[in-house]
Amino acid sequence: MLCCQGKGKIKCTIFSVWNKKKGDVITMQKKRKYRYIIAFIFLGIGVVIFLALNICIGSVRITLSDILGTMTGQETNETISRILWDIRLPRTLAVIILGGALSLAGYLLQTFFYNPIAGPFVLGISSGAKMVVALVMVFLMGRAIRITSADMIAAAFVGAMLSMGFVLLLSRRVKGMSMLVVSGVMIGYICSAITELVVTFADDADIVNLHNWSQGSFSGMTWNHVKVMAIVVIVTLIVVFLLSKPLSAYQLGEVYAQNMGVNIRFLRICLVILSSILSACIVAFAGPISFVGIATPHLVKKLLGTAKPLLMIPACFLGGSVFCLFCDLLARTILAPTELSISTVTAIFGAPVVLWVMATHRKERVV
Amino acid sequence: MGYYFKTEQMSVGYQGKPLIHDIEIGLHKGEILTLIGPNGAGKSTILKSIAKQLKLIHGVVYLDKEELNHMSGLELSQKMAVVFTEKIKTELMTCEDVVSTGRYPYTGHFGILSKEDHDAVREAMELVHVTEIRHQDFTKISDGQRQRVMLARAICQEPEIIILDEPTSFLDVKYKLEFISVLQELQIKKGLTVIMSLHELELAKIVSDKILCIKEGYVERCGTPEEIFESDFIKRLFHINEDCFEGNEKLLAYIGRLGRYEE
Repeated sequence: MLCCQGKGKIKCTIFSVWNKKKGDVITMQKKRKYRYIIAFIFLGIGVVIFLALNICIGSVRITLSDILGTMTGQETNETISRILWDIRLPRTLAVIILGGALSLAGYLLQTFFYNPIAGPFVLGISSGAKMVVALVMVFLMGRAIRITSADMIAAAFVGAMLSMGFVLLLSRRVKGMSMLVVSGVMIGYICSAITELVVTFADDADIVNLHNWSQGSFSGMTWNHVKVMAIVVIVTLIVVFLLSKPLSAYQLGEVYAQNMGVNIRFLRICLVILSSILSACIVAFAGPISFVGIATPHLVKKLLGTAKPLLMIPACFLGGSVFCLFCDLLARTILAPTELSISTVTAIFGAPVVLWVMATHRKERVV
Repeated sequence: MGYYFKTEQMSVGYQGKPLIHDIEIGLHKGEILTLIGPNGAGKSTILKSIAKQLKLIHGVVYLDKEELNHMSGLELSQKMAVVFTEKIKTELMTCEDVVSTGRYPYTGHFGILSKEDHDAVREAMELVHVTEIRHQDFTKISDGQRQRVMLARAICQEPEIIILDEPTSFLDVKYKLEFISVLQELQIKKGLTVIMSLHELELAKIVSDKILCIKEGYVERCGTPEEIFESDFIKRLFHINEDCFEGNEKLLAYIGRLGRYEE
């Protein structure tokens, strides 16, 4: 892997020397292309390394040879293969899928509102989803009805759309990006208060379950969960990727997007629905997770040096995966055997990024 | 002979309330129409309505004998380019990136530029002399440079008709004149039809084939520059009652009388 990166660098220098003869136009384009390739390699390596770390590190250490052994079927240690297959692997995969989804949802919302500090959590969308899921859970658990993953996603989607609707109504009234975010935070508080209320009145047995989940956590993922979320998120990711061209026009502002022949109404509806599906999927499985959605798109943008949706969409997804893998690893290990809530860790690393974005964006169009 | 661009009884305005009534414009291919009039008269409103940014309150607009409302977004974008006064918001985009967004109607599903697209972008940038700043960040250049980049963007869209709202407002004298020469070059070489608003009457006089004068709420007059600039018409249009256009002394005297500042 390291060798790969080294090669890229050497190639790059050879290229720039060669290009001095060919003129500056080619250099710039190639330079950018190499930056993109290196950024993607970097993110890819990040995912692989943290995937390995997340699987290996824990209360029971698993070595790489154990993993290889279990995969080829030579290793017979029942406990290790159990931990690997039933706990670590589904959890890690869930973190990759949901982390990517979270970051992508943030990117879509930032694009939609032309607002660099938008995200599913600050706009209250996660909290809205959480509220409806909590209501449904308490209602159904009280009647001893089992809830499937699909039900959870559907409930979360309803909640996400509900919050999104409020935010959209408010966004027509309030001008300026900070006011929009404040409104979103207020909506989030209202939803959280209702959730708390419901949890307080729920039966004892449910509370433990609900409480864990409503703090945000990647624990307790099963293969079944992973299957469902993979289908939902990957389909959404593909649809978003297919929209990257109109999104790039939309970034310039509605006036020019319309002149370029973009159907703005349709695109806006798509953005609302897609970002709500992603947010809903995350909340249904892992509860609300803060700051990943706002922070990662900015970090990825800095890494790529461009905001082109065609590149940002896949890069954002990978970036979110890496960020969440890193945070989940810390959440599990810092105070082991106690597990921190994932939002505690993501906030520590994500919130400074948001502050940095706000400080540097001041110069430009911020009201 | 049929007009290339035509409006019939067009009324424009906001939220269903008409601001300007009964606008009749007829332009042949390759003609330049300039809208002049006082601030707030509604020049931008007319331009936005023509570019389909605002809904028409009444009337019909024809482009190449086709009704504008029946054209798809893509069809229109291949025929009409716009430069408005709204600042575009960009993030990490160089001037070249901004110009290349003009190729949007011609690129494939993922918007990747082909060699022809790159050539069109380069040509357009050379035409308005922004090649030197092509690698600079669009947010870090001056207003005048930005205006020229946006013009390059509209040109590489390869339109048949171009709508420009105050395209020269931030340009210095040199670039104002260059802008006129670029328009004339495009008019002659490619038969480009132009509809724009200008505040510089001298420029309007030189470059236009037709001039539309707009006063608050109605079209005051429409005609060739010779017709418009005869006698006292301009003064009436801008509510100037005195002979300030005849020599510096009279102009200074007029400004002196306007001033509320007394020594």
